[in-house]
Amino acid sequence: MADVRENILARLVEVVATIPNIRSAHRNNVDITEDQKPAVVVLDGDEEANDAQNRRSNSPVMVQMTPGIVVFATPNMDGSSLSVMRLDLIKLVLFDTGLNNLVAKSSPRGDGTIRYLGCQTDVGWSRTEFVAMSAQFQFKYALQPEQL
Amino acid sequence: MIDYSALLYDPIYDALGVPATLTAGATEVALTVIDDTRPTTNTSGGVEVRSVGPGAFARIPELSDNGIARDDYMDAILAFNGRAWVVRSYELRGSPNGEDAGEVRFLLKEASLG
Repeated sequence: MADVRENILARLVEVVATIPNIRSAHRNNVDITEDQKPAVVVLDGDEEANDAQNRRSNSPVMVQMTPGIVVFATPNMDGSSLSVMRLDLIKLVLFDTGLNNLVAKSSPRGDGTIRYLGCQTDVGWSRTEFVAMSAQFQFKYALQPEQL
Repeated sequence: MIDYSALLYDPIYDALGVPATLTAGATEVALTVIDDTRPTTNTSGGVEVRSVGPGAFARIPELSDNGIARDDYMDAILAFNGRAWVVRSYELRGSPNGEDAGEVRFLLKEASLG
């Protein structure tokens, strides 16, 4: 079995856990406590297949999956610290050999790609200032039903 | 006219209030506050972070009687219940006798962190 999507998500958690100063990394955990910060959460997110006409039902198809990554900064960090985390996150994901191999080798043509789509930031107050960033990446891989 | 301070606020502060110290610049005063620390949740990207939003009520007449004016509130240090906080904002709670006879709710942040 070769579930490329699952392999990408599992590797993504490993990669984001190496962001410097991160205390805890999670997958699909939407309930974090302040003691777990600085924290990063990988959300499985969505995916969409590029529909091709006149092909067998179980033909390989290129899929674009868009997992979400949410980073919560540590209480004494400010906006510039979040920018540093953003840089680390983008570099870690786009240049990770494991992730690039997963998307590239999923397709016989090797045309899988990883793209950074953007981010949104949130600020607020609790015991300290709340600073967070939600980022999205697009992983384009070949879904080969025969290998599932 | 009903004296809300004497009939409402003072008995409540006698029952629920705790001793506090407010330091504004070089001025340090003792007063009574009601701890209003509440649970709070911040959300980003659909993920929630649970924490607390520290706060405290104080009576504006008590502050005024101790020489603490509204301009002194911001960045003052408020210590009560074993912790010290910085006033990051505040909201006025008017009374039927006027806002100067009402309460202020101090919105606080940890003193040791930015």
